[in-house]
Amino acid sequence: MSDGTDIVAAARAVATRIGKAKRLNAVLTSPAELRKSLLQQSKTVHPSGVLYGMAVAVKDNICTLEFPTTCGSKILEGYESPYEATVVARLKAAGALIAGKTNCDEFAMGSSTEHSAWGRTLHPTDKTRVPGGSSGGSAAIVAAGAVTAALGSETGGSVRQPASFCGVVGIKPTYGRVSRYGLVAFGSSLDQIGVLGRSVHDAARVLSVISGRDPKDSTCEDRDPLRLPTVPENLQGFVIGVPKEYFPADLDPGVRRACERAIRTLRELGASVREVSLPHTQYAVPTYYIVAPAEASSNLARFDGVRYGPRFDGAADVRALYRATRGEGFGEEVRRRIMVGTYVLSSGYYDAYYRKAQQVRALIAQDFRNAFDRGVDLLFTPTTPTTAFKAGEKLADPVAMYLADIFVCPANLAGLPAMSLPVGRVKGLPVGGQLIGQAFLEDEMLEAAYALERAVPGTAEA
Amino acid sequence: MSVTPDDVARIAQLAELHLDQEEMPALVGQMSRILDYVAQLGQVQVGEGAKPFVLGPDAIRCRPDEVKPWPLAFGPSEFAPVFKSGFFVVPRLGQFGDEGSDE
Amino acid sequence: MVGHGWETVIGLETHVQLGTVSKMFCGCSTAFGAPPNTNICPVCVGLPGALPVPNEQAVKLAVRAALALGCTVHAKSVFARKNYFYPDLPKGYQISQFDHPLATLGGLEFLSPDRGVVRATIERLHLEEDAGKSLHDRIPKATAVDLNRAGLPLVEIVTGADFRSPAEARAYLQTLKQVLEYIGVSDCDMEKGSLRVDANVSVRRAGAEALGVKTEVKNINSFAYVEKALTVERDRQVGVLEAGGGVTQETMLYDSKENAVRPQRSKEQSHDYRYFPEPDLPPLVLAPSWVEEQRQLLPELPGAKRERFVAQYGLVAQDAAVLTHSRAVADYFEGVVHAGAEPKAAANWVMGEALANAKDHGEELRVPAASLAQLIALVKGGTVSHQAAKRVFGELATRGGDPRTIAESLGLIQVADTNVLGGWVTEVVNANAAEVGRYRAGETKLMAFFVGQVMKVSRGKADPKLVQKVLAEKLAG
Repeated sequence: MSDGTDIVAAARAVATRIGKAKRLNAVLTSPAELRKSLLQQSKTVHPSGVLYGMAVAVKDNICTLEFPTTCGSKILEGYESPYEATVVARLKAAGALIAGKTNCDEFAMGSSTEHSAWGRTLHPTDKTRVPGGSSGGSAAIVAAGAVTAALGSETGGSVRQPASFCGVVGIKPTYGRVSRYGLVAFGSSLDQIGVLGRSVHDAARVLSVISGRDPKDSTCEDRDPLRLPTVPENLQGFVIGVPKEYFPADLDPGVRRACERAIRTLRELGASVREVSLPHTQYAVPTYYIVAPAEASSNLARFDGVRYGPRFDGAADVRALYRATRGEGFGEEVRRRIMVGTYVLSSGYYDAYYRKAQQVRALIAQDFRNAFDRGVDLLFTPTTPTTAFKAGEKLADPVAMYLADIFVCPANLAGLPAMSLPVGRVKGLPVGGQLIGQAFLEDEMLEAAYALERAVPGTAEA
Repeated sequence: MSVTPDDVARIAQLAELHLDQEEMPALVGQMSRILDYVAQLGQVQVGEGAKPFVLGPDAIRCRPDEVKPWPLAFGPSEFAPVFKSGFFVVPRLGQFGDEGSDE
Repeated sequence: MVGHGWETVIGLETHVQLGTVSKMFCGCSTAFGAPPNTNICPVCVGLPGALPVPNEQAVKLAVRAALALGCTVHAKSVFARKNYFYPDLPKGYQISQFDHPLATLGGLEFLSPDRGVVRATIERLHLEEDAGKSLHDRIPKATAVDLNRAGLPLVEIVTGADFRSPAEARAYLQTLKQVLEYIGVSDCDMEKGSLRVDANVSVRRAGAEALGVKTEVKNINSFAYVEKALTVERDRQVGVLEAGGGVTQETMLYDSKENAVRPQRSKEQSHDYRYFPEPDLPPLVLAPSWVEEQRQLLPELPGAKRERFVAQYGLVAQDAAVLTHSRAVADYFEGVVHAGAEPKAAANWVMGEALANAKDHGEELRVPAASLAQLIALVKGGTVSHQAAKRVFGELATRGGDPRTIAESLGLIQVADTNVLGGWVTEVVNANAAEVGRYRAGETKLMAFFVGQVMKVSRGKADPKLVQKVLAEKLAG
């Protein structure tokens, strides 16, 4: 794309496609507002950028100047951020079009995008089901073919899990690979911005553009942007580990079939595949559900109606203002997590809960290191234990929802790069296969992903 | 181990969250469920002096001392819910009384 | 008004603003007096998605303060979140240090008004950010919040329970201020809020080992109020105990208008700050060689300078103390000496004219050291009298210029020409024959009279010492 008319046509086309997918409730920006903004953007977009004209939607917990940032919450209803996230600035500098904000679980807390104040997002092909979460809106709109890619965020699998449910690619980089400046914080030691795309290449290209050092984020490593590998001929020389804890006896048979087929494909590509063990896997979800809520309870303390966002009025004094704003502005799941988080940090409980969880986290990370030290380059696992579940199915018991993250949250705890790509279907519903790589070796993970994507029948029934 | 309604009320105060009395029983139940679930970490042996896991760079990289604020496209008069004469305005302190900001 | 047999025990927590141009975790200006909410950015307003990035100069100044206070500076320290809600605390938490502070276990010697030289233990020194300001009287029924101060870099310096009287606590604070000012870390101005103090106070029976229940005293806004507030609180505690009651552990706020303390209205519960390591910041790691370099770069501290002035310049201890009270004055004094003035004369002029003038002009030492040295030389050489030199000094301070030129233009150059002097002496001797007779008869005291007359006739221009010589010769016959 090199001349002006193309970009305007591209902008119009994106607006139209997103408008057509309105029923999914994946994009929060109204079609009219989106069209207006895209046409405006088409005038100022950088013509020589590597992503010139690419439509990229942005999860609603990432600050943008073009559209409000609500994090799926009433407490930020109508909030227009006076600054934009580093990743958004980089997308724009690369010539991308910011194609609206996508729906998400409130403050990224959830695995189904049912916990948004703006209504749930529908699964792209089965409206009775969830698209996964918390980046469900991003996954759904990519799956619908309306945009090439979308930014999401991960704290405990929130890019990979919806990618798996919706049949798209979802990549989480190594912790510290991508700047968090402008990502509304949930669990600071876990949060990373990730990318969803129609293909490995689409997602990887965007990841490359947004990655790299940022002086505005002290946890962002001082490294150059990710360099993309070339697509390999085969996977000769790759050693892929398959952790037995990710193939429990009660794993959904369809998911098992699809993943075993993918493993066969990896062997056919020349990789050597061996079983490994990550013995502390069973503690990943409870560890996560101490660390993440604890950090969230602190990160969300700033939402008090004082400096930004709506104020829930009639408050007689400041304390009443806080309690009314936060009580009414936060939804149930967020309030629950703030309460749990406050509890596990409180006097008398800190050592047994938060400190212990951070110590167990070290063991989980060590499991991965041990596997990699024994000559394994990458791990392959199912992304999720099931295909997309029905809306409403997991709302009664909070822990039931948490267990949806069982295969994805260990990589967040360990800070490792991980991704999901479609490896098959079960009764028409997508199954995601997960690759977990070594810290800062996204290129090896992407090489394997490129090869697997090309060879595996990603949309075939397993 | 379970939490009691008193625990929940105390936590809600610390977290400055208003809870309706009707929500209490469900919340007590859910919190107990979650805390019971995560308490299984108590079984994990971590060993003496186990270090907490910390991700990110090994050490801070400081920035030079210069007046170069990160940009704000517009000021609080546009994003604050109540802004008068250059100040953020909140209702009177009430129960905060004469507490200063703790240091 | 202390009851007999009671001992006061005081510990101090001081917050000192570090003298940087930008804030602790963002690049906003620290300039004092800006219109409200103009030195702000996403970070210090606590906007969603903003992140802290530490200021290297703040770290450097904190390390220097720690070294000057004899602390162990830890190679690795960790930032932590202190969580609580308050309108001027934008994030709902303050970034501070908890389990792993920057420095611990130092000490500061100071002169107690009661017990001679005392060493206060510095238990810890750590880095943290300031909160904004809440103004309760600006808008009726509301609080106005200004976030200009939010994020300013602070060090918190905590002493042990080392002080035995309010006056002693004040003396420590003044010494602390002096040291921190000396090393260029802070201007420690309580009026501007760059130094704030909270105190812990308890009393016990004299000779008792166990500490009494302590209260925390806050809202002390000047050095003078430190002493007053602590006195009031101590007296209150003694009063309670002597009446048979017990002291409640609580926070007291000092009211300077009433010179009284009252309990802070009780909060529903005491704060549970839920400290945990700040996940947005890696550990602060300092190379030992860099820390050592900071130690080498520390300027001479007040105590050492005082001793050196006595030894090197032959000054008495009291004068040395005055001249080393501030680094600016000490450097000025040495500037005058290095420009050629004799130390004792330099000391007198600095302690006298220079400091008096500075007091009326915002502590500014307006006469350049070299100029003062020249002026002193003029006096020494008899070119101007001491009195005349004070006038010249005044001119130099107001308008600058060259001392000799000013003296000439004011007609203050003393006449030393013996012919001219001789003329005036002759005139006086001729006009006062009776006194001459009396002098020659033995009333040598009249010399002063004759000198005075010559000074009158010469309109102050005669060099009095030379006049005396010439008179003596003439009167001798």
